[in-house]
Amino acid sequence: MKITKSIVFNLRWHRRIGLSLFFMVIFLSISGFALNHSPDLKLSKVKLTSSWLLSWYGLPPTKQQGYNIADNWLYNRGTDQLFFNDKTVSHCPSPMLAAAATKQLVVALCSGTLVMLTPDGQLIESFNQVQGLPLDSQKVGSDDENIYLITSTDTMLLNTFNLSLSKIENPSKLVINSVAATRVPPGLINEENQEGISLETLILDLHSGRFFGNAGVIFVDIVGLLMCILALTGLWAWVNHQRLRKQKRL
Amino acid sequence: MHNSSLKALSIVGALLIASLFSPAVLSKGVYQSGPEFIAQTFAPQQPQAKALWLTPEIRQRAESILDRQVPGLRVRYHILDNKSAWILEEIGKEMPITIGVVVTDHKITEVKILAYRESRGGEVRYPAYTAQYRGASLQSNNRLDQSIDGITGATLSVWAVNKVAGLALYYHSQVVEQAVATN
Repeated sequence: MKITKSIVFNLRWHRRIGLSLFFMVIFLSISGFALNHSPDLKLSKVKLTSSWLLSWYGLPPTKQQGYNIADNWLYNRGTDQLFFNDKTVSHCPSPMLAAAATKQLVVALCSGTLVMLTPDGQLIESFNQVQGLPLDSQKVGSDDENIYLITSTDTMLLNTFNLSLSKIENPSKLVINSVAATRVPPGLINEENQEGISLETLILDLHSGRFFGNAGVIFVDIVGLLMCILALTGLWAWVNHQRLRKQKRL
Repeated sequence: MHNSSLKALSIVGALLIASLFSPAVLSKGVYQSGPEFIAQTFAPQQPQAKALWLTPEIRQRAESILDRQVPGLRVRYHILDNKSAWILEEIGKEMPITIGVVVTDHKITEVKILAYRESRGGEVRYPAYTAQYRGASLQSNNRLDQSIDGITGATLSVWAVNKVAGLALYYHSQVVEQAVATN
């Protein structure tokens, strides 16, 4: 009687869990198979450029915004790379917030990083929040000689040699030029730099749940946990079945 | 009967959930800002930042130490007497690790992980690990003259710290050389 009760309880939950996982098990098996054979299937070579997919991944639409400084374009295409015309010059976490230039220097402000370049686009050095860039840096501007960093509360003069910042007491007296973001000419962007999501990335993100953010990851974790429970209840059903058979023989 | 199996299942579940919050998984973070590290290194004095310009020779050796290209035209550092402090970055597996290195008289006096951005391998930040670098100097084959015990599961981060420690020693030697040449 006790064994029968246990069998009924176990099988009931085994069925319920199995049914609730039906679609996920099939999806995870197929996507896992695809990922396992990704090199043979050349999934990484298939580039998906649908606009909704790019926007879901936070990548810029085809109309790329950038900063035109002395006929050179500075932009980061929504990735973590800074482009100077068609070349990658530095790490530059997205979004790119502003750019400015003096005669000797071009400066790009990205999220948490300030990148300094020569006028012909050579990286001098970059300066990030760990190294002392203010957390609330919003904009950079310049006059002929100096670079200014504008935070939510202050305007600061950037000493580009020792990277020290000094607060300007009366910024309204200064004429600080800033470069407005405009559309990067489409011909400038290399085919290689054209944004797109590879089919492999998409399948991997769907398989792991990352496609839906943290909630998706937790969901897949739960599915994994339920699959373990399914295996255990399956094993338990088999054990109970053996015990029942033994009992019947007696 | 089923009560005991439910108990077993809940223990397995609890273990799985607990593993998600293990120190290895929660190793990401900024532990100290660069300015704080510099202030602490030279306290009570506060030297101005200086820049080491990367000549082709310096760049070539730096690239052989890091085993990759070195971007940028200059590297920032702070120096006071014979002690210099460097804040350098090196990629562990995928993300850069920000490492502060203090060199005194061509020997490392401190290695500190200022920011660790990878999800695993953050054990390199523990003082028990970084203390191994104290007293190390750079050999001509670009390796440290002291053996550094690795950490299981953090091999790439260990390599990154080793490279940065070697690079800081080399940069320090160049700064000292330039100072001697200037004088």
